Amino acid sequence: MFKSILVPISSEFYSKNVIERCIFLAEKFKSNIKLIYIIETKTLDQTDKISDEYRTQYEIEETKDEIIRRQKQTADDIIFDEAKYYFESKKIPFESQIIEGEFSKVVKIETSKKDYDLILMGFEKECILNYRLLDNVEIPVWLEGEGKGKSILAVLSNLAPNQKVPEISLKLSKKLGWTLHMLYVVDVEDSVEVDEQGIRSDKKPLRDLIFKGQSYVDEMKKNGANIELVKGSLEKETTRFAENINPNLVIVGREQKKKGILGLPTKNVKRKIAETCQYSILFIN
Amino acid sequence: MKKNNIFSNGKYSKQKNIFFILIAFLIVIIFYFAPTPAGLSHEGQVMIGILIMAAFLWITEPIPLAATGLIVMILQPILQVRETKEVFSSFGNQAVFFLIGAFIIAAAIEKHGLHRRIALKFLNFFKNNPRFFTLGIMITCACLTFIMPEHGVAALFLPIIVSILIAMKVVPRQSNFGKVSMLAVAYGCSIGSLGTLIGGARNPLAVGILLEQTPPISISFFEWMKYSMPIVIIAIPLVWIVLQFAFPIEIKDIAAAKKEINNQVNIAGKISKNELLVLGILVLTIFLWILFSQPEFSQEFGQFYGLAVIAILGSMLLFITGSISWKDVEKRVPWGIILLYGGAITLGLGIESSGAGRWIAEGILGLAGDNIFVVILAMIIFTVILTNIMSNVAAVAILLPIGLSIAYSLDINPLLAALLVALSGGLAFMFVISTPGNAITYSSGYFSTKDLLKAGTLANIICILVIFIVAIGYWVGILGI
Repeated sequence: MFKSILVPISSEFYSKNVIERCIFLAEKFKSNIKLIYIIETKTLDQTDKISDEYRTQYEIEETKDEIIRRQKQTADDIIFDEAKYYFESKKIPFESQIIEGEFSKVVKIETSKKDYDLILMGFEKECILNYRLLDNVEIPVWLEGEGKGKSILAVLSNLAPNQKVPEISLKLSKKLGWTLHMLYVVDVEDSVEVDEQGIRSDKKPLRDLIFKGQSYVDEMKKNGANIELVKGSLEKETTRFAENINPNLVIVGREQKKKGILGLPTKNVKRKIAETCQYSILFIN
Repeated sequence: MKKNNIFSNGKYSKQKNIFFILIAFLIVIIFYFAPTPAGLSHEGQVMIGILIMAAFLWITEPIPLAATGLIVMILQPILQVRETKEVFSSFGNQAVFFLIGAFIIAAAIEKHGLHRRIALKFLNFFKNNPRFFTLGIMITCACLTFIMPEHGVAALFLPIIVSILIAMKVVPRQSNFGKVSMLAVAYGCSIGSLGTLIGGARNPLAVGILLEQTPPISISFFEWMKYSMPIVIIAIPLVWIVLQFAFPIEIKDIAAAKKEINNQVNIAGKISKNELLVLGILVLTIFLWILFSQPEFSQEFGQFYGLAVIAILGSMLLFITGSISWKDVEKRVPWGIILLYGGAITLGLGIESSGAGRWIAEGILGLAGDNIFVVILAMIIFTVILTNIMSNVAAVAILLPIGLSIAYSLDINPLLAALLVALSGGLAFMFVISTPGNAITYSSGYFSTKDLLKAGTLANIICILVIFIVAIGYWVGILGI
């Protein structure tokens, strides 16, 4: 299932939990790991811009080179060194690379070069990354969080095709031995339906969406699934329900919730879920 | 193709910049054509428009800060607020030449690595205990900012401290020792920069504007230190304690740090002839600043040279001895800050001479009352807020003329207002964008924006209280200003 895992680590933040999770998954799925350390050029550009009037171009370049040199040293001597110790002791095949660039862009380029089954990464709200890749890559993205439970929460909704999520959730639940909970959210903020191709329908009456959702839930229950239907906002209900059951992993599908008001850019739904939900999240794209 | 473009936000940024520039000019146009309120001249009203425009451009930064400084200058004659000759004469202010001389001296220090040697020598005293070591970082940074600009010190310390942290296998973002060490660099530089006229460009800016008052108020190098040093001496340990509480240090053994410092000291080798020469000229210049930049004191020696003459003399000695070349000056002297500086002085003088400052001051005092303690506290708090969200020179440029006008309206010493604004303007602790020192240390990856905000808020509160107490107890109470 996750034979090839890409682990991008940004110079903006590093989480040891990601390496631990990577070892756990690699052992379970016999995966190959590619570890990339991304020296975030956005941070460097920001430093340059702020220093613009106070320091000369020569000094700014000098400092930038020094920052890059030290970050490479940090990646080699601390992050890769530690990962190497764990991977080699568990006999997990891995390779590592240091790249300068913008996080989302680097990950996207990397995934276009090689077939990966999973992107495993950390998430931090207070940093300058914009996490555009959550909406722009085709492969699943696992954001490592804090949850320590032994269950999975799979989230379905009127805003997603609901095909891959049940399938992957079941497989993961069996492979990892974790209990599977399912939640079907009828999103009252965006009353449309998304078909199997991910295309949004016109606005529909809420009662129709509830009826459809209930039929889906009843069908799943007949097949033995532990599933509930709720009405509300997809992101809020996901977080609320996750807090109730304390899962190790929340799985969210390819939601197509409308972005922003009057076409103005706002935070995407996936990012909002990641910011409010403390548990690990697997976005199936 | 379209998908690839998703990652490029250049067009959006350009549109945003144009939007900000249009708003800025719209502000001036509105102030130019709007009816003038009672008690304010038309020139005063236009100057307030230019002030708000400058503040808006310095916060949003659609164009370089120095370019805004130049716009401030040319708008005054264009809008017939002040004469061209009058506006550009601000560049003849001796504080501008002091700044140029100080930058050339700092360039020589950097060129020969004298600052690195001093930093390692200082750090050597603090390598026995992790907590003490972080205090050592703050003290060393602060001491170096007494002789060179704060941003250069932060840039110097980044590789030194990161090498030590790597040698200690300190993991970025996860170690409190890493966080405290890096924040100690940022805050040590900021606090230390208050100490002398060299550390931060806002200090000579305040001196420059004070020199243009009627009658002129002259502040010597030593006098500045007399006012500012108590704040540095009190704030450094207090902010260090704040850091210890905010991020309790988990590391007990500092042997690897000791080894790395010794290693770096060995790499630095013996002091070179050029370093000795630069050190000698630096010591001589400081000595001359102390003796001959203070009118009363220098009278005893029969001569008064002022800050700029000594700074230029020091820098010329560097050229004569071959310690620095013009190429080095071009590499290391940030002319942008000089232009920003010129704009800032003309803005201040325009605000004052047009009567806008007095009108704003009366408005503020009408709302806030004329209790001197409240006014002092408000001045400090407002400067600290503004310096956290914009360039600190720009923040001082905006608030200094208002502060001076408030001082004249309340019949208090304008020097008090200038010190409050200039020194509070150095306390940009809370955001990465607040000051280059914060941005440089943030780029090490050892602390998050949240860590900076948490420590910075506490440190700012502490420093606001320190300045308030020093202002009331020491400047007013003991020195009688």
